[in-house]
Amino acid sequence: MENLSAYLLLALRLLMALALYAFLGWALYTLWRDLRSESKNLESQRIPPIALILQDAQDAEATRFSAPEIVIGRHPRCEWVLGHDTVSSRHARLIFHHEQWWLEDLSSRNGTYLNGEAVAAPVVLAHQDAVRCGQISFTVWLETIQP
Amino acid sequence: MEISQPIQRLLGPSLSGRLLRLAAIFLSLYALSLTISPAVRDRSFDGLAELRWMHWIGLLAWLLAFLWLQRQLVEALPNHDRLLIPLAALLSGWGLLTIWRLTTRFGLRQSLWVLTCAALFILALRAKDNILELLRRYKYLWLSVGFAITALTFFFGTNPSGVGPDLWLGCCGVYFQPSEPLKLLLIIYLAAYLADRQPLMSKLLPLMAPTALMTGMALLLLLAQRDLGTAWVFIFIYTLLIYAASGQRKVLVASLLMLVLALFAGYELFGLVHARVESWLNPWVDPSGNSYQIVQALLAVAHGGMIGAGPGMGSPGFVPVSHSDFIYTSIVEETGVLGAVALLSLIGFLTVRALRIGLHARDAYQRYLAIGLAAYIGTQSLLIIGGTIRLLPLTGLPLPLVSYGGSSMLTSFFALYLLVIISHNSSDHPPSPQAGRPILVIAGGLLGAFALAALVTGWWGLVRGPDLLTRTDNARRAISDRYVPRGALLAASGEVLNETVGEPGAYARQYDYPAFSSVLGYSHPNYGQVALENGLDPILRGEEYQATWTLWINHLLYGQPAPGLDVRLSLDLDLQITASELLDEQAGAILVMDNDSGQILTMVSAPGYDANTLSEHWDELLERSDLPLLNRASQGAYPPGTALGPLLLARMRAEGELPPVPSDLTYTLGENSLSCALAPSDPGQWGAVIAAGCPGAVAELGLAMGADELLAFYRDLGLYNAPELRLPVYTPEVPTSINRPGVAAIGRNGLLVSPLQMLRAVSALANFGRIPALQLALSVEDNGEVREALEPVGTSRGVLNGQQTATTVLSMAAELAGTWDYVTPAFNEAGRGYTWYIGGTLAPNEGPGPNLTVLVLIETYDVQAAQALGRTILQTAMQR
Repeated sequence: MENLSAYLLLALRLLMALALYAFLGWALYTLWRDLRSESKNLESQRIPPIALILQDAQDAEATRFSAPEIVIGRHPRCEWVLGHDTVSSRHARLIFHHEQWWLEDLSSRNGTYLNGEAVAAPVVLAHQDAVRCGQISFTVWLETIQP
Repeated sequence: MEISQPIQRLLGPSLSGRLLRLAAIFLSLYALSLTISPAVRDRSFDGLAELRWMHWIGLLAWLLAFLWLQRQLVEALPNHDRLLIPLAALLSGWGLLTIWRLTTRFGLRQSLWVLTCAALFILALRAKDNILELLRRYKYLWLSVGFAITALTFFFGTNPSGVGPDLWLGCCGVYFQPSEPLKLLLIIYLAAYLADRQPLMSKLLPLMAPTALMTGMALLLLLAQRDLGTAWVFIFIYTLLIYAASGQRKVLVASLLMLVLALFAGYELFGLVHARVESWLNPWVDPSGNSYQIVQALLAVAHGGMIGAGPGMGSPGFVPVSHSDFIYTSIVEETGVLGAVALLSLIGFLTVRALRIGLHARDAYQRYLAIGLAAYIGTQSLLIIGGTIRLLPLTGLPLPLVSYGGSSMLTSFFALYLLVIISHNSSDHPPSPQAGRPILVIAGGLLGAFALAALVTGWWGLVRGPDLLTRTDNARRAISDRYVPRGALLAASGEVLNETVGEPGAYARQYDYPAFSSVLGYSHPNYGQVALENGLDPILRGEEYQATWTLWINHLLYGQPAPGLDVRLSLDLDLQITASELLDEQAGAILVMDNDSGQILTMVSAPGYDANTLSEHWDELLERSDLPLLNRASQGAYPPGTALGPLLLARMRAEGELPPVPSDLTYTLGENSLSCALAPSDPGQWGAVIAAGCPGAVAELGLAMGADELLAFYRDLGLYNAPELRLPVYTPEVPTSINRPGVAAIGRNGLLVSPLQMLRAVSALANFGRIPALQLALSVEDNGEVREALEPVGTSRGVLNGQQTATTVLSMAAELAGTWDYVTPAFNEAGRGYTWYIGGTLAPNEGPGPNLTVLVLIETYDVQAAQALGRTILQTAMQR
């Protein structure tokens, strides 16, 4: 039975390959499952429209957005440009996640205020909240999704 | 698999627990395979002492490290990514066992490193809440410290292996390569800087200026230290991070152009780059010098094939630094392309997972950090793997998590630590929309590159593999010769001439008749195969004529070729011994052929050597001026002199164009007057003057024949082509014309022929004008049983009119009854003399009898000696 060890080794190698590919298959399945749940999330996730209304302006026109992230600032590449000296180039950010709109200050010079209180950490926005960036104030208009 | 029970209890039913369990099962099977592999290699199961056990220490260390890590992590960071640790665990375990398999000493050190890394990881978990912020805040400090420590290698640098760039700092047996962690410090710096400059990220120049300065400084430091591999990784990390931050594809294009440009510049300016690129583009030019590593690495991949040689069954140690830079080819040799695909997938998954963590990261800093770490793992793996399989120029880098090396292991674990923390921080954070696109592009690019690496590995392992393995610099052939019996060479009656003796693992070639060494050749682990051992090598090795199933089962079970087959030669042992004793140490060759079958009955060449003592006398054998390694019978090239005279005479007789015998039998060539070899018995008769080797008469025949007809006749006789036997032969030049047919007829026009060619030509004299197809190997046998009868090589063909031949020969019948012969001297252009003796049997009057041609060549001008020698052989052969 001098070949016994050789056949034993062959069997071990077969099992080794099975274990290795089982590991890979499992890992791949996990990667795929995560991807699928993410894409489902993305599909199901509809961003509720948000409108921002400047308070001081004469005509008080509402600006509507459909993006999940709105950067507010003086810089022309911001989603909402506020041309005022007290507004930093990238001043604050509105971001939608976990089914909520959040307000976040982007280390602005003059600060961001929600209903009069300074925003230090991201906070959840509610309908008709008053936000102030520097000396510019605006109202947040959240609408429920119309079918 | 009894090992899986306690693991299940320890790890619990979570995803990472299940995957770790599978990894542990895989590694235990690998370790078990390694344990029994020596027994399989030696093809015996007796004595457990020879089995390998040491590497189980490594498996134990691995198990301990990751079980502990897993438990601590579940408590400390319950929301971390559950794929990271199992992937890293399998990679490091696979590497660890491979290192144990290669070098026990390094295996032990690596096991300690794995334990140390796990311990430091767990210790660092205490700082999990503020480590990221700490790294971010003091980014310039960390990077400067990194620079400073790397710069120290200029003054205190060493290299643990003794040669190569001094990239390590070492003390007390522990070495550290600062450029490894420097990569992470650069990533941290870049991530922190880019996150701080978010507002400006649409403009490239302000984004790049300070970072380009820092990266450039790091590059200069590395280039000055000749650490090209790390420099290359830096460029990739920098490019990918800037791309991720800016989202502009022109960054990628520009960086690629810069790299190509840098490669060109480096190729022209730096010797090291030049050599690396050269050996990448043309590895086959210098396989024993600059491209030794890469050629040996490709041979390892080729040996692996599809399923690999099996754990512990390959010879990955032939590749230099197989435990470090070349660990990929070590793994591929023993697990094949299947293993390569798995390994590349593991690294690919890890990279993609790190990128996914970046996609979900809470903020820009953590996002860039994760992308940078993914770029480090992905590009460094690709660069070194691509380098070892000739996809990219070779750069000295460790394969993260897999290769041997403490600095590399620490760096990989630190990267893992940061990724685990980032993934925990952002476990339920949705993917960040603005980072999606660059991350997708990077992930696609890296995965594509991994797929390409798998394809190239398959190309070397499967498509080019079989060809590569026959290369003479493949030392695995010599190894398998020690484990697989080589077929024997047998004489015509079955006597063993060359055989393989010993036990598996210690097989050696034994040469039972050392006097025949120069004809039969040798098979030696260092000096390769020559002569018949070379010509018949594929059969003796079991590559030809062996059943496909036998080949397969041997490849599958042992990763080795099948046992070799014996070859029975046509050589007659008694005759061979007699001829060898007669020739003794006199330089020359003896050949005897059976005209009916074309079988070579005797082939002797002297001076010879004893193949049994090759190693002891190798240098001396190479230096000797009398060339003992040369098989004079087939490889020697000698002037024919007037030995072809009888053939010319027979031809002219057959054509009926015989001129009268010239009165002057001498021939004047330049200042020399050439005379007859022997005194002709009858100067007026053609047969007598030709048999006496009179140059005047032979030249007359040549002139009468004319240049064109003589050229065609010589071609018919095979003087311009080499006999197609499976042994090395002299290959003559093919002339387009003959200038002076008289001079050509007496063999003074520079024509050289081997004794074997001469034998083939003159056999037409006694064989009714036919030249038989030659044969030396009669049959392929397996333990005395004929596997396949071999056919003579080439075709038998008529060159003379058969009716005329007999009478031509008869007119020079020898003293010995029933034979003919003649003897003739020959001189080369330097005036050195040789003597040909050519003879044979006459067709018997009644019944079958021997039909032989005998040829003797001695490398001196001694007509009597050659004649005496030849006649003794002829007589012995006839009495056989």
